Amino acid sequence: MSNFWTVVAFTFRNKVRKKSFVITTLIIAVLLSVIVNLPYIISQFSSNTPDRIGYAGAATTIAGSDVLPGDIGSGLEAYFKKQEKPGYEFVRVAGADSADEGANARALNEALENGDIDAYVVFASAGETEFFPKMELRAKKQYGDSAVAELQAALQSVKLERALQSLGLTDEQQQMLFAPAQVSSVQIDLNDGQAQQEDEKQSKGAMYGVVYAILFLLFMTIMTTGQLIATEITAEKSSRVMEVLVTSVSPLTQMFGKIIGMLLVGLLQIAVYVVVVAINISMPNSDNALKDLGINMADVPLSLYIYALLFYLIGYFLYATLYAGVGSLVSRTEELGQAVMPLMFISLGGFYIGIFGLNAPDSSFVTVTSFIPFFTPYIMFLRIGMVEPPFWQIVVSLVALLATTLAAGWLSAKIYRTGVLMYGKRPSLKELRKAMKAFKL
Amino acid sequence: MIPLAIDRIYKNYGDKTAVNGLSFEVEQGEIYGLLGANGAGKTTTMRMVLGLIYPDEGSIRYNGQPYGKEQLHNLGYLPEERGLYPKVKVSEQLIYLAQLKGMTKKAAEQSLRRWLEQFEVPEYYDKKVEELSKGNQQKIQFVAAVIHDPQIVILDEAFSGLDPVNVELLKAAVKGLRDSGKTILFSTHRMEHVEELCRNITIMHRSNPVVQGDIKTIKSRYPRERVMLAASRDITGLEQLEGVRYVTKHENVTEIGIASEQAAQHILTHALGQAEIERFELMRPTLNEIFIKSVGDRHE
Repeated sequence: MSNFWTVVAFTFRNKVRKKSFVITTLIIAVLLSVIVNLPYIISQFSSNTPDRIGYAGAATTIAGSDVLPGDIGSGLEAYFKKQEKPGYEFVRVAGADSADEGANARALNEALENGDIDAYVVFASAGETEFFPKMELRAKKQYGDSAVAELQAALQSVKLERALQSLGLTDEQQQMLFAPAQVSSVQIDLNDGQAQQEDEKQSKGAMYGVVYAILFLLFMTIMTTGQLIATEITAEKSSRVMEVLVTSVSPLTQMFGKIIGMLLVGLLQIAVYVVVVAINISMPNSDNALKDLGINMADVPLSLYIYALLFYLIGYFLYATLYAGVGSLVSRTEELGQAVMPLMFISLGGFYIGIFGLNAPDSSFVTVTSFIPFFTPYIMFLRIGMVEPPFWQIVVSLVALLATTLAAGWLSAKIYRTGVLMYGKRPSLKELRKAMKAFKL
Repeated sequence: MIPLAIDRIYKNYGDKTAVNGLSFEVEQGEIYGLLGANGAGKTTTMRMVLGLIYPDEGSIRYNGQPYGKEQLHNLGYLPEERGLYPKVKVSEQLIYLAQLKGMTKKAAEQSLRRWLEQFEVPEYYDKKVEELSKGNQQKIQFVAAVIHDPQIVILDEAFSGLDPVNVELLKAAVKGLRDSGKTILFSTHRMEHVEELCRNITIMHRSNPVVQGDIKTIKSRYPRERVMLAASRDITGLEQLEGVRYVTKHENVTEIGIASEQAAQHILTHALGQAEIERFELMRPTLNEIFIKSVGDRHE
């Protein structure tokens, strides 16, 4: 037992003191801080004043249309004024209300040039059958699709109002027509046939964000620490320290000592990240920014974090033992990448199904894959976070995962015991079986 | 109780035989030589002694006991290919290895300092292995094998790739171990080391032990069939003498192969008739020749 902890301590100490480890951890910590603060940073950079869009108030008509462009402009102005947080402000440009179109255009361009307005709109005939003219937005910068869509909605509203006026509806009737129909989505808990409504909206956003973040963390740490284990073991083999080690300590102690040591490294790394994120989130500025996005960390139930830790631990052991087994078969570090490829694909597959599942957590594909042990740590965790699967399903998947982990540990230990003494080219399955027999395992 | 007794061990890898019925015993304070060409089964034998693999048949006993976990602390191993962590400090990894062998950290530190002192390299304590020259890495490797004061030490090609100064240094260390009562199993290709260090040897060839016993007896089994002759001037007509098989003139000495020991007397009287004799020696075959003979004869 003391040997075991000696191996754990040696693995941990050597890894944590490595420059590469310290630097990677720092870089990721900085990145995390930036990501957490991103909403705040963005809000700081984007100006709060809406874009000013100019229009000509001239009473010139457009061919094929009895609507005056100046009226449309003032209609848009009124539309945005009514909004709580208007994205645009329409202004009538002074000096652009003469009858001379050339003078109007000059006045608009001048206003744009000296910064009075950010853009201006002009109107043109939309075709013979169309009573309403089409609008063109002109600016020095390119407006995105969302801006165009917003303006289109505004213009549509002005057009509708215009059309309704001719029907002679009262204001009340108009309001009734304009009042939007409402839809909302509510997640409920079923208990003895009784539906219980949950606090909606807010926690959903938090759940999505937290599940996504934890999923990513699970995947990253399991992959990197697994890789590290395989690399270390292969390096020990290729530098032949292995020959001295196997005569000092039983291979099983050695393998599990290494796995536990690396687990501690991984946990330390996660702890650093969690602390960094927690500090950043607790800063008042980012808290508000997150709330604006509908994310409130306090809404995430504690059980989700416990499940995350549980799945991390078991998932780690499943993959770590397999990586150790693979690492023990390879004699040269250059060959390792190829050897761990299948494991990486499985891990990557689980992660991508998880990302897909975030948007469709109750699809049967996600349900089925959550029972496949190699994917369970990712997918079942995702389902717990997003759709609250029946408890028996969680238990079944956990039992399957545990059984697979034990089997993987047993198999890897056997492979490890044999593999560490085999040099030369990577053995085939047949050669491995033969060697196991020869070594009386 | 014999520290290390190997009794008719066999080992097969699939249908390939690696060790075929090998037996020997190593006493306390003895260096036992295990010789053989590459692939003769030396490393497999050593691995079986180390308990890394088990023999298919036969037994290995340590002080009369079969292999068990407690032997891990009792054994020290210097592998043929050097094995240390290149990027870890000498002190750190040797103390780690010693701790794995059951030493306390403090005792390991003391032992390490003592050994570095003996090899005249105390400043390596805080160096990384990759910063050391090959010869010095080998010293560290040697320390790794003996730092925990094991009763049985297994040295696989301990002196390969070293310069003469370092060979002498390590040789002295091995002799020191022997004199302090260790049981040492030693493999090498270099016969002069074996003649200097070992009392008993086994020469292995293609998994089989072909020559076994103490070096003197082995040598006496081979007839003396060579004469080294040096005289004040050239001796002629040696080829015509009865029992002479060949005559080879070296720079300062003439080597004469003979069919029987009586022929030596004919050569001596013949030579005395012609010149003053500076050197006349009836040579036993060297271990090197015995090795080549016992291994080479069976090559076909």
